[in-house]
Amino acid sequence: MQNEPISSSLEDYLEAIAEIIENKGHAHTKDIADRMNVKMPSVTNAIQMLAAKGLIRYQSHTPVTLTVRGTERAAVIRLRHAALKNFFRTLLKLEEDESNQTACKVEHIVGEKVMSRFVTLTEAIMNRTDCEGLRDYLNTTMPTISADSQEDVVALDTLEVGQSGIVAHVSSNLRGIKKFADLGLVSGTLLTLEGHAPFGDLLRVRVMGSSLSMRSRDAAQIWVHPARGIPEDHSREIIL
Amino acid sequence: MKQTFRVALAGNPNCGKTTIFNLLTGARQHVGNYPGVTVERKSGIVHVGVLEVEVIDLPGIYSLSSSSPEEKVAFKELMDTPVDLILNIVDASNPQRNLYLTTQLAELGIPMMLVFNMADDAYRRGLKFNLPVLEHYFGIPIVRTVGAKGIGTEHLKHVMGNLLSAPERKLPNSLRYGTHLDQAIQELTARIESLNPPFSSRIPARYFAIKLLEGDDGVCRMKPFTPLMEETVTLREKLAIRLGAEIETLLPDSRYGMISGACREAVRITNERRRQISDDIDRFITNRYLGLPIFLGVMFLIFFLTFFCSQPLVNFLEWFFGALADVINRFWPTGQLDFVRSLLTEGIIGGVGGVLVFLPNIVFLFLGIAFLEGTGYMARAAYVMDGFMHRFGLHGKSFIPMLLGFGCTVPAVMATRSIESEKDRLTTIMILPLMSCGARLPIYSLLIPIFFAEKFQALVMWTIYLIGVLLALAGARLLKSTLFKGGDEVYVMELPPYRMPTFRSLLLHMWERTLLYLRKAGTLILAASIVLYLLNTLPVKTQFSKDYEGKIAALEKKMPSQEAKKEIRSLEAERNFEKLEYSMAGRIGRGLSYVLHPLGFDWRVSSALIGAFAAKELFVSQLGILFSVADSGDGDASSLQAQMKGQYTPLQAFCIMLFCLISIPCIGTVAVVRRETGSNFLTFLQFAGLTLTAYLVTLIVYQAGRLFF
Repeated sequence: MQNEPISSSLEDYLEAIAEIIENKGHAHTKDIADRMNVKMPSVTNAIQMLAAKGLIRYQSHTPVTLTVRGTERAAVIRLRHAALKNFFRTLLKLEEDESNQTACKVEHIVGEKVMSRFVTLTEAIMNRTDCEGLRDYLNTTMPTISADSQEDVVALDTLEVGQSGIVAHVSSNLRGIKKFADLGLVSGTLLTLEGHAPFGDLLRVRVMGSSLSMRSRDAAQIWVHPARGIPEDHSREIIL
Repeated sequence: MKQTFRVALAGNPNCGKTTIFNLLTGARQHVGNYPGVTVERKSGIVHVGVLEVEVIDLPGIYSLSSSSPEEKVAFKELMDTPVDLILNIVDASNPQRNLYLTTQLAELGIPMMLVFNMADDAYRRGLKFNLPVLEHYFGIPIVRTVGAKGIGTEHLKHVMGNLLSAPERKLPNSLRYGTHLDQAIQELTARIESLNPPFSSRIPARYFAIKLLEGDDGVCRMKPFTPLMEETVTLREKLAIRLGAEIETLLPDSRYGMISGACREAVRITNERRRQISDDIDRFITNRYLGLPIFLGVMFLIFFLTFFCSQPLVNFLEWFFGALADVINRFWPTGQLDFVRSLLTEGIIGGVGGVLVFLPNIVFLFLGIAFLEGTGYMARAAYVMDGFMHRFGLHGKSFIPMLLGFGCTVPAVMATRSIESEKDRLTTIMILPLMSCGARLPIYSLLIPIFFAEKFQALVMWTIYLIGVLLALAGARLLKSTLFKGGDEVYVMELPPYRMPTFRSLLLHMWERTLLYLRKAGTLILAASIVLYLLNTLPVKTQFSKDYEGKIAALEKKMPSQEAKKEIRSLEAERNFEKLEYSMAGRIGRGLSYVLHPLGFDWRVSSALIGAFAAKELFVSQLGILFSVADSGDGDASSLQAQMKGQYTPLQAFCIMLFCLISIPCIGTVAVVRRETGSNFLTFLQFAGLTLTAYLVTLIVYQAGRLFF
């Protein structure tokens, strides 16, 4: 296939070039640098690589233009971006900027098949009459989910000494997950990181009124909502 | 009417279960081992009114699954033998974790009562219980005790008596897991009940249904359930999706949910004093920088206790066994059964006594370990040392046995019992003989001063010890990557709060271990001493090169001058030499010397090595006989040293020490390793492996060394 894979940063460049050409008719290196928020030499480097792959035409001191293949490729990328942005904006109800930025990150890793199904899902929910109830539900609930309720989850081993947290979930990669669960490390448990052992590998965690020691790499599989500050009061562990 | 009831004590580790057990049964205990595992099985008799009750102390467990030998053993005991009542001991200061086990015990279809132990601790932590609510929730009576102070045991016995003599067995309530899970449990229970051939057990089908859903290894592998496995797996997957949880933690999640619900109603925190002294001590003791020095200090103290404080007792025992042999010799009718007499005095008293004199060391050591375990420091020591030991494939707790190994290998091997992971424990046992024990010290202190200049003496000694440690660490790595591969078990360990153990429990613990040592190691050592004695004396030589008897008798007739005494001694020594040379040991030594010649050993060293097998220090006394050194009773080493000088090169001497360090663990070690590993194969492997390593290492050192010296 002629669509030989290019790196995600090159995809970003190609996308930017296509957009600049659409707006201005031609793309100077300076414009690209401004838009991508990078230094000139990086741009030169990138467009030389794109030119080598036959996606753009480039001579020094003349604006960049897209080849036929480049135009096609850029169109695919921009289509994907638009579809993803649409999904984030209209279904997940993210803000315009956030939708754009998230789409930029996701678009490079999603394959064609997944992409078209995404589009089908978005369109189905947005247009089908039997999805009316769902649309209402999304309209009211999505905006109420604040950013920090989900994204603010860290691995247990990255907590500060003395910091507390509530277990959000335990990854199924954790060896002996059952043993940890038997000892009370299940979702919703309050715990406090008490310290690290000499030579680093072990750490101790206060759970349910007693200390457990475990290996750091096991602790890295346990995800917690860190508590703000260091609560002196452990009463929640009983009341929870 | 008298009837024996059986009551099982169950509870988390460190919940004070053993204290309650000791309170109930007193000294009427029977300590044994569960077959095949090193989990102790304790039982005892207690009289409640007219009832005779056998109390079984189950090992401390967090859950009734099969993820550790303790859990398997506890479940087997409850499943295979009829139990009339479960006494579930709960650390009242930590109800949530402790009640987790309760939820599982309640499903076994056995009457139960809850004991909220350490009620004073809970009070100090500000926990207030509404016990009637909890009693109603679980459907079982609850009593409060303070085990360490003996408070509440009478009440406990009273309630226990009532339950046992009640006309009908009242079972705990069956607990609700929520709509989806309950439905699945019901489905599976029905399937188990309609199995063909029918499945029958003392334990209700519902328990097995729950364990199947939990994915418990032991239960899933039970033969009768094979046809149900496919269904179980689908059910679990469906439930995990519906409840939005990991498959493995479905049941633990809902159990902890259940407990939170129950506690919300029944437990209140009234007091704001949350910080415990325990935490403050810990901040200091397990500190990143201070932890290690503190640990080494504590170990030094234990060593001091073991090898210094017990020295007077060791001396006393030495004197005692000497005196005992003297008395027997004196009162034995002369000329009658002389062979039996010398077997008794020299073989048995000499051999078994030689090991028994170390008993005070062992008793003190066990006392020290019992104290460390009882206070909860042992878990901290493992926590502090683990980072270092883990690099060599060992466990943090391996460190203590290894240190003890510098004293004596036998108690060191027994100290490995505190290592939970079976593979780590076996690895530690296998390498322990490489830690140069105290009995090897006489060998070094005999040889080093003869063959090495004074400024090198300490260096040589240090090198020998270091070689032992390095070989031990290398051996551990090797074993962990071959025989005990994949034993890197999940490491999660509770650091229990510091508690002062009761004096009584310390003594009981010490006594149990000492008894085990005496009983098991004693019998094998006795047998080995007899065999070695026979090797050393048989066949009896009757034709000597000189007429020793006549000469000695002639000398004795003369005036007992110093001169004559000395001559008598040297004559006796010469006779002993001839006897030994003629004996089996001497012959085996000659045979061995062909094999050991490439290591630079002559026949004398070879036969002395046979003595070293009985006890390492016997190497020296055997050599003494072989060099015809008169046993002057004091400082015999110096005359032996004079004899040996010039016989060997420093390289040979070094090789002898090296071989003694690595090769053949002494008979006491072999006995205790056999006991603690429960495997003839591993015992043999250790024996053969160490001897082979010793041979190869010494061969290389000797042959390479000859190129330079």
